[in-house]
Amino acid sequence: MNLMSRDPLPPITPDPVIEYYKKDIDRTLLRENLKLTVTERFEKLMALQRFAEEMRRAGCRARQQQ
Amino acid sequence: MTDFDALLRALAAADVRFIVVGGAAATAHGAARLTVDLDIVYERSRENIRRLVAALSDSQPYLRGAPPGLPFRLDEETVQRGLNFTLTCTLGDIDLLGEIAGGGGYADLLPHSIVLKPFGTECRCLGLSRLIQVKRAAGRPKDFDAIAELEALEQERDEPGKQI
Repeated sequence: MNLMSRDPLPPITPDPVIEYYKKDIDRTLLRENLKLTVTERFEKLMALQRFAEEMRRAGCRARQQQ
Repeated sequence: MTDFDALLRALAAADVRFIVVGGAAATAHGAARLTVDLDIVYERSRENIRRLVAALSDSQPYLRGAPPGLPFRLDEETVQRGLNFTLTCTLGDIDLLGEIAGGGGYADLLPHSIVLKPFGTECRCLGLSRLIQVKRAAGRPKDFDAIAELEALEQERDEPGKQI
């Protein structure tokens, strides 16, 4: 599989704002994702979407019952 | 829910020339952030627009967030006259982008794209470095967290033994 782009880009200059945000990134999640195939990453995303949608529905039901 | 598998298959089956960008591209690279739509930059040739329209015709594309009943029809003329379309369809949400801020159109992004095969479907995806640059160029504060994640991902990916 061709995983490399044909036109490599120069290294990205660190941005202090982005560096600040980077401190809060959970790298354990990224490391786990990097062990997955691309298909598995999309399957995980769709499972997360289903979960988020179910939580949204549950929230709606709870508000209606109040 | 957006069925990324079905959308990518539909586009690939119709031989549409496109590049996956945005949150779905970030997912392909390993980002953990939730994204709900498929963003693609499509090539603006007449033939490719014809293929794009054909690929989505069965899934009833409609303007996302618009009130029902508008006289919208995704046909070749509509796409030729417009540029970027934010759509919802029976397969989920899809953004058709003729250009993206800081990245340009299909031809501009092509050299910075990579070929991936999610769900066995071959498609082009914007490379991680270019994805970061495009998001930086857009300069939207809501993207700061996403950019930080992508940059962290790039650092993690460069460690030995990691995929992509």
